[in-house]
Amino acid sequence: MPLQALRTVAKPQNGVGAFILQCKRIDLHYCDWAGSSKGMNDFLRTTLPAFAKQNPSIELSVSPRPGRHPVIKGLYINGRQKAICVRNMESGEILRKVELLKAASGERLRRERRPVKSANESVRGVWDPFHGHKYRI
Amino acid sequence: MKRIRLDRWATQIQPPRNPRLHLPPFSSETRAPRRELQQRQYQIQHQWQHQRRHAVTRRKASSAAAAQLEEAESAAPIPLDTSQDGDGAASPPQPQYAPSHRRAAQSAKLSALHARLALPSKLPLQTLARCLIDPSADPRPGYNNAPFALLGQDLLGYYTSEYLMCHYPRLPMPVLFAAQYAYVGSATLGAMRAEWGVEVVAAPGQEVDPGLLQLKRSVPGNAMLDGETRQLKDMPQARRLGSGRRNEEYNFRRGMSSRIVFDDQFGDLQSGLQPADAQPYPGAAISSPAADGAEAGSEQEQLALDTAASAPPPQPQSPEETHPTTVEQGSASFIRALAGALYLHAGSAASKTFHKDHVLSRQLPLHTLFHFTHPTRDLSRLCAREGFEPPVARLISETGRLSRTPVFVVGVYSGDDKLGEGAGSSLNEGRVRAAAAALRSWYLYSPPDSEVVLPSEVEGAAGTGRSKKQWKPQMVDIGEVIT
Repeated sequence: MPLQALRTVAKPQNGVGAFILQCKRIDLHYCDWAGSSKGMNDFLRTTLPAFAKQNPSIELSVSPRPGRHPVIKGLYINGRQKAICVRNMESGEILRKVELLKAASGERLRRERRPVKSANESVRGVWDPFHGHKYRI
Repeated sequence: MKRIRLDRWATQIQPPRNPRLHLPPFSSETRAPRRELQQRQYQIQHQWQHQRRHAVTRRKASSAAAAQLEEAESAAPIPLDTSQDGDGAASPPQPQYAPSHRRAAQSAKLSALHARLALPSKLPLQTLARCLIDPSADPRPGYNNAPFALLGQDLLGYYTSEYLMCHYPRLPMPVLFAAQYAYVGSATLGAMRAEWGVEVVAAPGQEVDPGLLQLKRSVPGNAMLDGETRQLKDMPQARRLGSGRRNEEYNFRRGMSSRIVFDDQFGDLQSGLQPADAQPYPGAAISSPAADGAEAGSEQEQLALDTAASAPPPQPQSPEETHPTTVEQGSASFIRALAGALYLHAGSAASKTFHKDHVLSRQLPLHTLFHFTHPTRDLSRLCAREGFEPPVARLISETGRLSRTPVFVVGVYSGDDKLGEGAGSSLNEGRVRAAAAALRSWYLYSPPDSEVVLPSEVEGAAGTGRSKKQWKPQMVDIGEVIT
């Protein structure tokens, strides 16, 4: 047989064509009794409906967690979760935290050592001693 | 002990399956009688509904939205009403099938999925919910995604193949099949479903959130049957797929031309075909081999034809009878169904945009798909066919010839033109790699983008628009090298 083919799977490039927001769900837990949840209750009443309208791709779930500090949890497409306790925060701060969850990718926070990641080889090629001028004494 | 959450049973993602899981044997005696099962499920459903309703009124007692919600809840009948089903025949308690259309409009997961994929508003939520239902979960063709998937599979295949053929006209057939699989094959579509954040249910049912992919999962091959010591995959009951070819029982070689004619868009056997040695169903129109006399033969034929209802093997009527599928196949049929539904609701432009955004945006290095066995022979045949000078391999540079790690850089020249270059740890390896590189550069030729016009850009609705492109005949290659 002159030619055979090897099967593989094409790799995704999120954002090149369609962009899929990685945050798919945010759970918001509040408490009616605890004082630490005052800001959270205000947030739920005033700011959350507008946020939900602006971000239709995030599934929002609001549920009480009595006797506990308020907490917001983000669930991401890679299956990981991020939780932020928003005790004693004001409505504006909580909105910033929710935006932080929305903008996250779900991956662990890690220090990136290589500045550029690419699936393509370098354009001008890596130097090798076999092509180009040879060093002569 | 944790309280059982009945409304979350079916939607919870199960932990990884235990390969030592012992399953009951496949016999109907061990299953609970259907009526009792359905009644039990009915009670559970009602219980859940009452719980849910009360919780809603308690939580939203002060809000104005509660009034609207209560109205909606009281107006919407319980999904178990038998008014839904078309077959008015006196049926026993309705089997638990796909969720109702009303629930599709109430599902947050479904609306979030619609927005995440930026689907046009012309595609209703109810159709998206239907696309998420595999035929193994609900066999009724009007309620599952099979009709959409049939259309969408052809659409995605068409757009992908025209892209590959117009941009890479010299691509050999096996590589074209592999590239097609890499772009719209079931493995890729399974990965795509996970990238979109669509979860799969543990078991399908009517109480399941409409935003989840519903399918009946097949038993994994490393599960063990009760009373057996072997795993399922080692049991000698594998069914051979039919290939749809004549004289299939002689096991002729499935060459490339045969695959183009008989097999699917990836060069694989079509699913759902009966093998040649399968027993025909009762009433099939069989032509008997008229061994003793034409009379007896014709009589037999007539009999068979008379009793033939000319009906295919009976379709599954209920979810218990459907054939289970894998998550990968279910994901592939969901995405194909979505493409088909987009075409039907929003037009060809929308389905083309869907293909461009989700399929063509993926990266596939085509040069990694090639696998040569005799590149030097192929290259010399190619040069002879094209009228080039015979290829000659020349050493460009080398180092470490007598050491443990030599490097030889060999180039293949046709006259004064270098066709390809390769490096290897022996002279022969360098020569072979150079020939392979030369062949790859020939097969991966791509005309300039200004010359490429895809047929779908000029035909049909696209061809009559304001910004229609002018058709340019595309390059058609003579074909790959035959050696």
